[in-house]
Amino acid sequence: MEPPVIALEDVTVTYRSGFLGGTGFDALRGVSLSVGAGETVGLVGESGSGKTTLGRVCLGLLRPTTGSMHFAGQPFGNLRQRRGQLSVVLQHPEWALNPRLRCGRSVEEPLVLTGVSAAARRARVDEILEQVGLDPSFAARLPGQLSGGQRQRIAIARALVTHPRFIVFDEAVSALDVSVQAQVLNLIRDLQERHGFGALFISHDIAATRYVSHRIAVMLNGEIVEDGPAGRFYGAPEHPYSRALLAAV
Amino acid sequence: MTAMTAPLVDIADLVIEYDTGTRQVRAIDGAALQVFEDETLAIVGESGSGKTTLGMAAGRLLPPEARVLGGRIHVADVDVSDADDDALRRLRHDKLGFVFQNPTTALDPTMRIGRQVALAMGGRPAPEAIAELLSRAELNEPQRILRAFPHELSGGMAQRVVIAMAIARSPQLLIADEPTASLDASIREKVMATLGRLRAESGASLVILSHDLRMIARHADRVAVMYGGRIVELGAVGQVMQAPAHPYTRALLAAAAGNERPGERLRPIPGTPPILESRCEACAYAPRCAFRETRCETERPEPRAFAGREVVCHRAEAVIAADQSPRQEAR
Repeated sequence: MEPPVIALEDVTVTYRSGFLGGTGFDALRGVSLSVGAGETVGLVGESGSGKTTLGRVCLGLLRPTTGSMHFAGQPFGNLRQRRGQLSVVLQHPEWALNPRLRCGRSVEEPLVLTGVSAAARRARVDEILEQVGLDPSFAARLPGQLSGGQRQRIAIARALVTHPRFIVFDEAVSALDVSVQAQVLNLIRDLQERHGFGALFISHDIAATRYVSHRIAVMLNGEIVEDGPAGRFYGAPEHPYSRALLAAV
Repeated sequence: MTAMTAPLVDIADLVIEYDTGTRQVRAIDGAALQVFEDETLAIVGESGSGKTTLGMAAGRLLPPEARVLGGRIHVADVDVSDADDDALRRLRHDKLGFVFQNPTTALDPTMRIGRQVALAMGGRPAPEAIAELLSRAELNEPQRILRAFPHELSGGMAQRVVIAMAIARSPQLLIADEPTASLDASIREKVMATLGRLRAESGASLVILSHDLRMIARHADRVAVMYGGRIVELGAVGQVMQAPAHPYTRALLAAAAGNERPGERLRPIPGTPPILESRCEACAYAPRCAFRETRCETERPEPRAFAGREVVCHRAEAVIAADQSPRQEAR
């Protein structure tokens, strides 16, 4: 069997700072989580529960204080080795896209870093724009000329252009309108079917999360209190906190 | 609902355009709405539907490039579009309360909370009175918060401060523009509950502008669905949500995550919302509508009473009939 794309084992992250009397603060405590290829794991919980910290660990932006992390069965190594294999889509595409770069250029940038030839890059950009449901003419536009949903599609195209094996969606649909949200959620599902990437879908919106995810992990105070198939979150999840989250749907 | 007394807010045939420099954009295209005393009314719609423009127009809080081209707005017996500065100031200060989307931009970052709240209360309130107001908005440790600056508060606490300021003068009308959109999901419900409780205690009316259908279903009495600068469906929340008579309401409900069954696919609304440049002489929703017929593209639908609510649609009968089994059809 193929090893999971991301496997965290007993990961603890401690932030050292003065604000708690100079002692450490555990943002994550003994977290174990794995994301397989072609699988989306939803991560829900309130702010301060460690969702974003966990996302940063999965992206290799933050070293676990203790515990181990494997990428496709191997030790994570350094970020340079993982170029083009990891990606992220953030909540506000206007912050993720340079407002002065044409969208085509923004989408192309990760390919420049991985050393793809110019002709191949152009073909690849057109192809990926088409896959996210945008006309290739969008490559010539500036982010300011697009609607919120279109900008998020550009951000997703940029994240996908190197065929990464793992993508973190950090509140990727939270800023979008209801019907645009549905479009983007469907797009994520379709693209995953086609590309088979593993994904971590971080959100505080359990309704959107269970729609897009195969499995859902619920975080509370730096710990995962429940980890189960998404179907369970349409009925009765086990942990009382999960049930409280669900009551708000 | 007190349909016999004069409505608190009476908006009729309102037309508002924005002057963008290169062209006119019509944000409100003949909207009519009444808000009665002691009720919670929600205005829903996508961005660009005109809900914020409508809400802000009630206090004449529109940016300078907005122009009211027609219609009237009466709030608590004051003609808002015609009032002089003095009357308008009294209206805003004593009868209206606003809660904005982002509490951190609504509060002055250079002023301690206590002083800002005192300004909203008017006069020279005692610290105890300010603390008492803050605790009414369910803020624990009001003494500590009085001395704090806005950046020292969490988003939820800051929004409660804004709510406390909005209710400081016991207004008759509270207008909340996406009051929980910038807050965490886990505290949204609590903040909405606070807002609803304060409204009920004071007997004021609350107008919520939002695109969160689920939140509205729990907190509003009536709902007005906006599209293309008009109110396309208006009625009791239960009725409208259970059996929508306007195809846009129906499509919004089908697109929202949370109502689907496992494995079911959400159905986004095809196309994009219109940007109107002048009066729309057809149904603004027709290009995206699954129920359209030729008449929808040539004849502007007018509001009419149908199935216990008001709807702006030629095809309402067909929509409500089709809605008996929306879930089966979704498969």
